[in-house]
Amino acid sequence: MDNEVYSFALKTTLDEIQKVCPDIKNAFVLTKDRELLARDEDTPEKTIISAVDAFEEMLEKAKAIGGVEDVTIEGIKGRLNVSRLDEVYLVTVTSKQADLEYVNTMTRVLIPTVLRVLEKFSPAPLNKNSPTPNIEPEEPTIERHEELQTKIVEESEMEKHEERLEPTEKSENILPETPVNQLIVEDLKGLLAPSDTVRIDSNIIQEWNELYENKTIEEADIETFVGKSTRCKVKPIKESKLDGQGKIQMPNKVQLTLEIKKGELVKVKPAVE
Amino acid sequence: MVKKKKDELQIASVSEPTVIETTDYESQLRANLEEIKKYDGVVGYILRNTTSASIDLKDPARIVDYAILSSTAFDATEEVSDLFELGTVKNIIINGKNVRMLALTVEENKISIFMENSADTEKVLEKLKAS
Repeated sequence: MDNEVYSFALKTTLDEIQKVCPDIKNAFVLTKDRELLARDEDTPEKTIISAVDAFEEMLEKAKAIGGVEDVTIEGIKGRLNVSRLDEVYLVTVTSKQADLEYVNTMTRVLIPTVLRVLEKFSPAPLNKNSPTPNIEPEEPTIERHEELQTKIVEESEMEKHEERLEPTEKSENILPETPVNQLIVEDLKGLLAPSDTVRIDSNIIQEWNELYENKTIEEADIETFVGKSTRCKVKPIKESKLDGQGKIQMPNKVQLTLEIKKGELVKVKPAVE
Repeated sequence: MVKKKKDELQIASVSEPTVIETTDYESQLRANLEEIKKYDGVVGYILRNTTSASIDLKDPARIVDYAILSSTAFDATEEVSDLFELGTVKNIIINGKNVRMLALTVEENKISIFMENSADTEKVLEKLKAS
């Protein structure tokens, strides 16, 4: 499976999201190497290339703070958000009256879900140098686009070269990159519900256990989008109607610690020491 | 264009903020920044206007990196805001893996606050708005 399939699936998803969230004025998806993967119909490729160009240096300099996970620019007329979702960056522009909780629920749940489904069909990572999606290039942008492509190829070559230089013994000891899942908070009530345990999709726990073969994941780090975080015990969701829905059941005590409530989005990753 | 603006950045002070002919408003802003610096998780700030720049960071080794990030973020935001018609930018939040940067322009002052991801951004924003 190559980038064209990803592009088609993501473009369709973006278009559908916009139909139900008309407050999303623009949406596009970039690879980690800032290559355009998909865009909605209303956003010209030229605009995206200019935006990538504007962000390029900032994203580079953000290595000083550990690399960009999320960027939000709030203007008086609208808001632009760049979110890193696993292997891609999702960029959305919303009007100022947009219901951000709803927008986030749609985008930050649907896009990763589509990506996960695509990965299930073919686990090949997003190829940096595959042809860009089914986009008709506009004349004035071709040169700039080629420049970007060349840069990406050069960077890719450098990365490959660096990988070759690293001793294989060292790489064997490195744990895989910690996966981050974005889940919607649900209340976890009941007299017997422990106050230090959250419940999430069983398949996420299974994926974590498969990823860290020699470890059993019993705890997870939970972080809100304003930076509050905590570590809790983690178990699979019991109710079948909630399982597989991208939810995290959370006792009231944990919600208070994180200063969040039902319906909000949190980032969850396995606690691996 | 980006490079030109970056070159204009002058670091007036490192450990102690420099004050040059401050107005009441600027005095209040600087006082608030000093207070914000004491908040849990806040690692420092950069204040820049047309005449001077003040940088106060707990880790001096980060001064140049953070100053350049702050400068490029303001420049990038200006361009992106025009492209997507966001209007006047109220604030910018960049969440990094290790540190978060909150940046905003108040009058002619460009302020960047650096904090740990666990810090309370809303509290910092409110304090700045109170300036």
